[in-house]
Amino acid sequence: MSGAKEKQATAKPAYLANLKLPATGSNVEMEGVNYKIAAPQGVDPSTLFFVQVDKDKCQACGECETHCPTGAIQEMHPDGERGVVDPAACVNCGQCLANCPFGAISEQVSYVGEIFEKLKDPDTIVVSMPAPAVRYGLGECFGMPTGTYVGGKMHAALRRLGFGLVWDNEWTADVTIMEEGTELLERVKKGDKPLPQFTSCCPGWVKFAETFYPDLNAHLSTCRSPIGMLGPLAKTYGSEQSGIKSKKMYTVSIMPCVAKKFEGLRPEMNASGSRDIDATINTRELAWMIKQAGIDFASLPEEQPDPALGMSTGAATIFGTSGGVMEAALRLAYEVLSGNTLANPDIKVVRAHEGIKTADIPVPNFGTVKVAVVSGLQNAAKLCDEVRAGKSPYHFIEVMTCPGGCVNGGGQPLEPEMLQSSLFHSTVAKINRRFNQRRVG
Amino acid sequence: MKKIGLMSRRGFIKVAGIACGYSVLGFNVTREAFAATLEFVGLRQQSVYNADSKIYSIRKSQDNPMIKKLYAKDGFLHEGPCGHKSHHLLHTHYNDRSAGVKALKAKGVKLAL
Repeated sequence: MSGAKEKQATAKPAYLANLKLPATGSNVEMEGVNYKIAAPQGVDPSTLFFVQVDKDKCQACGECETHCPTGAIQEMHPDGERGVVDPAACVNCGQCLANCPFGAISEQVSYVGEIFEKLKDPDTIVVSMPAPAVRYGLGECFGMPTGTYVGGKMHAALRRLGFGLVWDNEWTADVTIMEEGTELLERVKKGDKPLPQFTSCCPGWVKFAETFYPDLNAHLSTCRSPIGMLGPLAKTYGSEQSGIKSKKMYTVSIMPCVAKKFEGLRPEMNASGSRDIDATINTRELAWMIKQAGIDFASLPEEQPDPALGMSTGAATIFGTSGGVMEAALRLAYEVLSGNTLANPDIKVVRAHEGIKTADIPVPNFGTVKVAVVSGLQNAAKLCDEVRAGKSPYHFIEVMTCPGGCVNGGGQPLEPEMLQSSLFHSTVAKINRRFNQRRVG
Repeated sequence: MKKIGLMSRRGFIKVAGIACGYSVLGFNVTREAFAATLEFVGLRQQSVYNADSKIYSIRKSQDNPMIKKLYAKDGFLHEGPCGHKSHHLLHTHYNDRSAGVKALKAKGVKLAL
């Protein structure tokens, strides 16, 4: 780590010299999804559209509506084409985008242009902060089988892209467990804040709760999400550890998610004295950047992140799946409450694929901890109604917006079948349109 | 594009026939795609649990040496989790964002909730 300061003087990676930067405002297709190159600064994120429908590509099938938890995407035009009605109703989860059979939904915010500029800038140290789920999706963009773990290759790729400090958001997943677990234990013991405690890692869920259940805000854990913790820790503790001034740092959050772009722009995220998170991209954008740099991803060696803010555990990596935060928190709560060591860390009863899963966890010397794990916000709304009515029996509820958790996030590589189906559908739509124009005209 | 009303009867039947054919074919492609999606999320989840038990040598957050260092007596967060500094850097507060959707509903926009 002490060598990091000298590292900034060494030559920048060669690819940067010849790289053509995408122009601000231009549209770029990355891994089958259209992105508008735009890096908002100092904007109130609640006024921004993070996803929007391309009217010319939309075939009015309505599939997006069935995946939208809030009804924010709906018929907007006379021929039935869809659109996002207002940013106020959209939680930015991107499930509409991931499930559109026509590839008609695009992302409106992309920082990739600005990140390449910062990578070129000799006075800036770009800091990587990848989420757990990214390493289970990234390989798919390079032809690897679904779900292949590419954590080590991802760190190697980040170094070759020119990131000066390879830190990892998994480390703050471990910090989150310490903070959020302690908060839960305080709520249970002191009773000064209401139970159940909801998790607050998922930015789609947090915006959903603030918008549709603001009366339950006190039930949300006050903990920031892991990335909300790594931003300020990088610029304070990380600055101390690396000897690099926080003003020189440019922190890049790399997420399987669209809603994290909203979270990074929240005005309150400035605990370090400046913006905690300078840029947010998702797995598809990282894959595109690696391809732009001409890096042969599959043949990269496995590398470790820089240790002090990078080392992580199994408890951190399972944050990527629905039920993971719960299981990781229980691995801590069990030991703290019982005073015993948890011999087998597998707590399989909270592992969830879809819907609502509940469990009673017996803890020696304490009693029973009642938990619920939910993925999908329509399911979360049912539990919220229960809490609102004062009928919720649980201590702790984990909510993930995307069905299955972050591994299925709106920013992950599209499923190959879905991509194929969308290619097929959009081709058919194009032929139909041309045929109709000729026949009908 | 001109009005559909100008189309001949034969033209309409042809367009409608092709549209039907495509929609049947299209429906099946979509159905297969969604069935595959469920399996596909399962594959990614399975990979996470495999990594947890096989790749990561430490499996509990409290056992991570870098976490111990952070919360150590002489560490950056020496007051421990949920201490004063933690609250400043790592905790947050939430806003009531319901006004926007109330305004939308007042305008007659229907939402799911």
